[in-house]
Amino acid sequence: MTQLPTPGATPAAPPPSEPPPTAAPPRPRWRETLGLLARNPTAAVSAVVLVLIVLMAVFDETLAPDGPNEQDPSLQLQPPSRSHPFGTDEFGRDILSRVVLGAATSLRVGFASVAFALVVGTLIGLLAGYYGRWVDDALMRLMDVLFAFPAVLLAIAIVAIRGAGPANAILAIGIVYVPIFARVTRASVLGVREEVYVRASRSVGASDWRLITRHVLPNAAPPIIVQTSISLAFAVLAEAALSFLGLGPRRPNPSWGLMLADGRGFIDQAWWYTVFPGLAIVVTVLCFNLLGDGLRDVLDPRQRTLMAGGGR
Amino acid sequence: MRTNRLLPLAAAAALVLTACGGGGESVDTGGGGGGGENTLVAAVSAEPDQFDPHVTNAYASFQVLENVYDTLVVPSAEDLTMQPSLAESWTTSPDQLSWTFTLRDGVTFHDGSEFDSADVVYSYRRIIDEELSNAYRFATVADVQAPDPRTVVITLTRPTPNLLELIGAFKGMAIVSENAADEFDLQSEANGTGPFRLESSDANGTVLTAFEDYWGGAPSIDGVEFRYITEASSALTALRNGEVQWTDNVPPQNVADLESDEEVELGSVTSVEYFYMSMNYAVPPFDNRDVRRAIATAVDRDEVTQAARFGAAQTNQTAIPEGSPFYLDYAPFTPDQDAARQLLEQAGVQTPLTMGLMVTDEYPETVAAAQVIASQLEPIGIDVEIQEEDFATWLDRQSQGDFDAFMLSWIGNIDPADFYENQHLSTGGSNYQGYANPQVDDLLTRAATEVDQAARKDLYDQAARIIVDDVSYLYLYNPDEVQAWAPGLTGYQVRADAAINFETVELP
Repeated sequence: MTQLPTPGATPAAPPPSEPPPTAAPPRPRWRETLGLLARNPTAAVSAVVLVLIVLMAVFDETLAPDGPNEQDPSLQLQPPSRSHPFGTDEFGRDILSRVVLGAATSLRVGFASVAFALVVGTLIGLLAGYYGRWVDDALMRLMDVLFAFPAVLLAIAIVAIRGAGPANAILAIGIVYVPIFARVTRASVLGVREEVYVRASRSVGASDWRLITRHVLPNAAPPIIVQTSISLAFAVLAEAALSFLGLGPRRPNPSWGLMLADGRGFIDQAWWYTVFPGLAIVVTVLCFNLLGDGLRDVLDPRQRTLMAGGGR
Repeated sequence: MRTNRLLPLAAAAALVLTACGGGGESVDTGGGGGGGENTLVAAVSAEPDQFDPHVTNAYASFQVLENVYDTLVVPSAEDLTMQPSLAESWTTSPDQLSWTFTLRDGVTFHDGSEFDSADVVYSYRRIIDEELSNAYRFATVADVQAPDPRTVVITLTRPTPNLLELIGAFKGMAIVSENAADEFDLQSEANGTGPFRLESSDANGTVLTAFEDYWGGAPSIDGVEFRYITEASSALTALRNGEVQWTDNVPPQNVADLESDEEVELGSVTSVEYFYMSMNYAVPPFDNRDVRRAIATAVDRDEVTQAARFGAAQTNQTAIPEGSPFYLDYAPFTPDQDAARQLLEQAGVQTPLTMGLMVTDEYPETVAAAQVIASQLEPIGIDVEIQEEDFATWLDRQSQGDFDAFMLSWIGNIDPADFYENQHLSTGGSNYQGYANPQVDDLLTRAATEVDQAARKDLYDQAARIIVDDVSYLYLYNPDEVQAWAPGLTGYQVRADAAINFETVELP
């Protein structure tokens, strides 16, 4: 309970690169954040597109003109037309339908793996940053080991060991992104931990749990939120890569990466087979990245002040 | 037959980049060849694993070895009937238990030594005594003797009407020089009697040079360079811009485009390969004949070949392709989902039932065909779960019997014994499905020793009908063997057994 680190007790911990300039804990600022975000056109457009993609994934079966595996041999590799705007594949399946239905696969894997990395990584980062000392050393060295592996290689290794399939893809991608969240969280926590309001709260006898949940985590959150958005982009990309390598969902279930892999053999005959699933990946990844950029601008206190000031 | 089926494509995957490297590579055509202008460059998709004809199982190796070695007899390019090669003629004893081969005169090996009967005895004894992969082809052979240098006598334990196919169907039965295994490193060297000698081989390709003293007359080209190009589009591009003059790396979806392409000549023939699906008799309800027949009734082969082969195949409800003397015109199943549903009902099984269908990405057309079959079985209440495995896992699960159903193909078959014995005899070495029908066993056993060809065909026909009716295999189609070459290249013929022989090729 009381073995809290005192300032200077963790010399190994580097100071955060950008200490928050204000000492007072900011108030909840949902509205302000959204307002600022709306004023950033790139981020706003990205957010809108992402909402549409998520809606598409949620209502996939209602939106898709055909089922995922409705085949028609007489419509083999048809170019885009009015009845099949994205063309058809070698089984005569509607590519538009499969792109729509593939969104669910990609986003489910993307969101679930990032959620996993977010929860585990943030927890590790919080513990390491808040308690410091051997907890910090042990946890962060473990993260360093994970971080030393190239991301996609690590994911492929995990899937190769545990077998292909969406659940294992989620786990694999999730594990890959845990160290990133742990590092971001730890760095942020180190800065917040020594703030006046935290020390004040501690001096009046607040418990670790209360300190972490009420003061440390909310104030350490902005970089984590930004990281989440950017990680989603990479997770969607990683899912496509795993599917492309045949380590994701099983055929005939649609997935963007799998469609790219299958369409590759027909690129001379049917450009639409690879272009449309490829575009879907590009748009999704780009939007998550742009949204992440926008969020960073909005959530960074200095930038925020600047933007709010400029708006006045 | 098993031998040619194991195409080690994976090994070649690593070579794509080097093979596609394009400009700047110098090829050592060796001292004797002269190389350059008159050398045929052939793009193949995979690298040979080794060059010992008695040991390798890889099709990629046999593509090369076909041009380097000879066998006593050889399948004709037109209809695969057995023709004289190193053996000029042969006679059979009245009791059918002794075959006497008279060998060709004036044949020399690549190292200059004379070919005689001792080489044949050595080669055959090597396969038999060292129990190499083709030893099973000598199962009925009691002895191989050489009474004089021009004569070889093979004695048998029982009549073997398909002896010629057994010893000549492919270069796995090649004649090497006496003591070749001691004098040469057969893994990387060769000493054959064929039209080309093996010059060198590395990660970029394999180089053959014409053998001037070839008994059939020296080839008109100076040599052959096999280049490994895994990616079909790269191989076709190389063919169009003249880097290579021949390739067998022609995906079915490209056939339509290539037919109208003036820069490319296309050759195609229905091959002796057949694709099939097999269900596990040890896993209910697939032990039920009605269930298997329901599935056979629901499958529409035309749709399967359209998606998997873009129509470049002949659908077939038996194994042997039309054109073979042993072809049987028998097609009892007409695609009909209502009838299929009825059969399932009759079998008393609960639908929907799940069937795992094991395929391998080593053979992408099985993955495509499985998706079509899945969509055809869904309406009759069978939920097909497509299990895509790497080939090693696939083979492992197959031999463990760990499957509901699987798809693959057999290639390189000429004699009906090759099509049916291993696969459908209750004791057959490749009867992974666990088929056991005493009637089929009896018919196949009798056919194996029947020397009258008409009576033999009749026995195989009877057996094939039962095998099809019982759905021991659900036969799907014979794919077309499609190859492409540069306009002006003459003297080449696409063969139904997919053997690639450049002996008579002439370049413009």
